[in-house]
Amino acid sequence: MNWAIQTLNGISMGALLFLLASGFTITFGLARVVNLAHGAFYLLGGYMGLTILWVTKNFWLALLAGGLSIVVLNYFCERYLIRKTQGNELGQVLLTVGIVYVIADIALVIWGGNPLRIAQPEIARGSIELPFGIVYPRYRFLLILFGIIIGTGQWLLYRKTQLGAIVRAGVDNRETVSAMGIDIDRLLAMVFAFAAFLAGLSGVAGGAFLTVYPGAEWDILVLALVVVIVGGLGSLEGAMVGSLIVGLVDAYGRWLLPEFSYFVVFGPMAVLLLFRPTGLFGREV
Amino acid sequence: MQTRKFAFFLALAIFGLIAPHILDTFWVSLIMQILVFGLLALAVDLLIGHVGIFPLGHAAFFAVAAYTTAILEARHAQPTLVAAFAGVASALILALFFGLAVRTKGVYFILVTMAMGHIVWGVATRWSSFTGGDNGVGNIPLPKVGSLAVSGYRDYYYVVLIVVVIFTLAYRVIVRSPFGTTLRGIRESESRMRSLGYHVAAHKYAAFVLSGGLAGVAGVLYIYLNRFVSPPTAAFHLSAEVSLMAIVGGSGTILGPFLGSVVILIIRNYVSAHLMQWATVMGVVFILTVLYAPKGLMGLIGRHSSPGLSPAVNRSPQKNESNRSQG
Repeated sequence: MNWAIQTLNGISMGALLFLLASGFTITFGLARVVNLAHGAFYLLGGYMGLTILWVTKNFWLALLAGGLSIVVLNYFCERYLIRKTQGNELGQVLLTVGIVYVIADIALVIWGGNPLRIAQPEIARGSIELPFGIVYPRYRFLLILFGIIIGTGQWLLYRKTQLGAIVRAGVDNRETVSAMGIDIDRLLAMVFAFAAFLAGLSGVAGGAFLTVYPGAEWDILVLALVVVIVGGLGSLEGAMVGSLIVGLVDAYGRWLLPEFSYFVVFGPMAVLLLFRPTGLFGREV
Repeated sequence: MQTRKFAFFLALAIFGLIAPHILDTFWVSLIMQILVFGLLALAVDLLIGHVGIFPLGHAAFFAVAAYTTAILEARHAQPTLVAAFAGVASALILALFFGLAVRTKGVYFILVTMAMGHIVWGVATRWSSFTGGDNGVGNIPLPKVGSLAVSGYRDYYYVVLIVVVIFTLAYRVIVRSPFGTTLRGIRESESRMRSLGYHVAAHKYAAFVLSGGLAGVAGVLYIYLNRFVSPPTAAFHLSAEVSLMAIVGGSGTILGPFLGSVVILIIRNYVSAHLMQWATVMGVVFILTVLYAPKGLMGLIGRHSSPGLSPAVNRSPQKNESNRSQG
């Protein structure tokens, strides 16, 4: 019984991580951008959504606003800051860490230091009865479904459409794609916007069951990083499998070994990397 | 040039020796912090500036050494020498494990060391029965070796100064040795060094372990200075700020990391005294450094061919391709 609940907790956490990690991994695959600001995007998306929710009382608008605000923010961060560090990995990492500092500090001033809960929408409140008599919070169950829908949609888009084929080609060899007459910069801008939208949206989705609080930017970022490290940087399938693994391991770890829950997540990751230094689905970078 | 250099170091040495007698407590304590964190930045810079790999988890070694020494001193009343050596040893042992990260390359290495650092932070936070959780470990006595006892911050200042100078000189010997040259060779071209018959992985691993051990020395110095340790000591923020120190000062040099430590700690102390938003200022320093001073202050002064923020990456032909296509 408990196992089932913890498994569902793990999967729903995995769904949330996937929203954040899939954008991160595709951005890296296509543009070689290591954007640690994704953690801050998650945080700020959550706060923006919360604010819109206070004003409009509409969760879906909040979700949209959380995502869109980050699209705008990321556009400026990318265009005026991150782009200038192209090809310089440590520079990118330190620069985006700087962005996280600034965003998190400003958020602290505006929204204060206490955890704030984003009210769940009407239809997602209460609990749901699943087969075998398992009673589970409706919201987290819907989050799992949402994650599956987004994941499937992304996979279809990535694997089965022409646009996806272009993006995949861009991941493999950007110069050739560019030489074929495809505007790679526009493609990049689209992928960045998409990734940012998912990051902001995941902040709202996560805030509704984890609350939004100062420090959430690092908590979620580190888990998302483990997802992409385990799955392999740049791989969408890797992000799917990685999210599920990390979500489950995190849930079981918190439940069975609360004092070592972090070790339970990071230890196996370190061991995995010894045997597969580029993760499960990753390629040489 | 030689005489100017000599005069500079002489002035620095005289200042270092008389500082506690001419400055007040605030400044002496700040200088001690600068020395300790400078040593930590120097440890990190062995990897950034010489091997050309970017670790983002060195707070782990620093914190493990600090915690080990703190717990032995405060709970088990071990003598200073035992506690201090155990602290450095624990950092070394941790580095032996975490050093396996050198198997990964580029971004993976950055992210893996970051995640490894997070393990230590997680243990410090969650394993509260042993580490004290958020309350940390306090009540650490002043160091005492035999009949020699440190009786105040002024005494301890000299301990810090001597230890930092000794390890910095040892560091200088190492980076100027054939071993150091090999490391820089690896930074320039791993494949070339491999084809010359060098065991690249072993050199990287050895450098990582040395670096972790040196971070542990800084951690032990820190614990007797601060006399309290808590999870923020192991946090990612410290790892990032220490890397920033190395870059700000000028990586690949010896004075650079200390200079970076001066800049960052003065900014931090000054700003946090006047403004609540010190994190914003810190973030802006991160951004400006990366954009406008990637070679650091030593780079601005000139002469130094410090690799700064763009080693290895620009030299690998494959990466160059992607750079060009970006325009």
